[in-house]
Amino acid sequence: MVYTRKNQRDLTAAERRKFVAAVLELKRTGAYDRFVRTHIDHYTADGGGRLRIAHMTPSFLPWHRKFLLEFETALRRIDPTVSVPYWDWTRDNSPASSIWREDFMGGNGRRADLQVMTGPFAHSAGHWTITQSMTDGKYLTRDFGRPRDPITLPTATQLDEVMRERVYDAAPWNSTSATGFRNALEGWAPGRGNERFRIHNRVHRWVGGLMLGGGSVNDPVFWLHHSFVDLVWSRWQQRNPGAAYLPAEPPPLGDAQYRKVAARHEPMAPWGVTPASMFDHSRIYRYV
Amino acid sequence: MIVPRRVALRSLFALAVTAFTGGALGRIAIRPESGGTRDPHAFDEMYRGRRLLGFSGPGGEPTALVDGRPLHLMRCADGGYVTPIDHYESCPTPLAATRAAVDELGTARLSPLAAAHGVTDPTGGSPRGVHA
Repeated sequence: MVYTRKNQRDLTAAERRKFVAAVLELKRTGAYDRFVRTHIDHYTADGGGRLRIAHMTPSFLPWHRKFLLEFETALRRIDPTVSVPYWDWTRDNSPASSIWREDFMGGNGRRADLQVMTGPFAHSAGHWTITQSMTDGKYLTRDFGRPRDPITLPTATQLDEVMRERVYDAAPWNSTSATGFRNALEGWAPGRGNERFRIHNRVHRWVGGLMLGGGSVNDPVFWLHHSFVDLVWSRWQQRNPGAAYLPAEPPPLGDAQYRKVAARHEPMAPWGVTPASMFDHSRIYRYV
Repeated sequence: MIVPRRVALRSLFALAVTAFTGGALGRIAIRPESGGTRDPHAFDEMYRGRRLLGFSGPGGEPTALVDGRPLHLMRCADGGYVTPIDHYESCPTPLAATRAAVDELGTARLSPLAAAHGVTDPTGGSPRGVHA
């Protein structure tokens, strides 16, 4: 049975409540923090000699599609009516947007220590203690819009530019790929100041706090952000039915990316699924 | 990268000493060798109330401590560095990346997870503890 992922702005109060309750239950059992740790353990930057499976790499999109599916499956074991909603940040692009209300994601961090004080994921509410993080802080932090170096969320026009890419990815298959849909959406760019932070990366930077680093999954908005990133990929796939995952074959010995990226039919840790197997989600879920 | 055993041992010793003393003996890490060659990754400064210490790690890679706690410096394809605290800003030097991390730390201290980061070994083996 195919289920739907909805725009978070269209959820009813009951739907918001059920999603939050399932996330809190996953946190209570310890399963949530294992998702946080999985994301931490698979971050590898592209200047080193190691395999990159999750970021700065062609498999950025299928890796996160699988990661979301695993999370959603865990949520649906708790409540089969729940799915991961998406946050269209081109539209709900302000700290005043309803996504940040007290009955859903909660609001911005406070000035003094960036601690989130409102909503179900505030440490002070008693259900959200950070355990897998890059600091010893126990509470969720946010820093909307990065006031000391202000940045705005991506616009619909900027997203349209990404949608005009016609090839899935391009050599050198990393954060310096100048063309290709994957890096345009992931959002690594040259230049100065905030020009360097685009689309997916820019949203992490706009939310700030824990969303900026390796522990970004500690902020539940991570899932809503990546649900929208996955939607964008899904729409792009519909527009470009012939554009398969690239690279099709592993970069050969002698290539700078030899053994550093996952080709179309190579397994992605930790699940062992291939990028090709994640290409079509239409029999599992759809976006409305 | 091949590093003379003496240099590797010295770096390991410096890392161990600073890790266990909170940086109190940190200057040992950047003291010029008898030949007079300065560690290219050396820095030692106070920044926003934090002690930042940089030196070459066992493999010659840049290594940073913030108040005596290791901060993983990850090289990017553009030649810069990102850290576990800020994944998105590739900074031109290890010192710039360390400062950028401190800018985001607020009042928090680094956790052991910030020392090493990114396991892609499908067997689940972790480099943590080796690097930290």
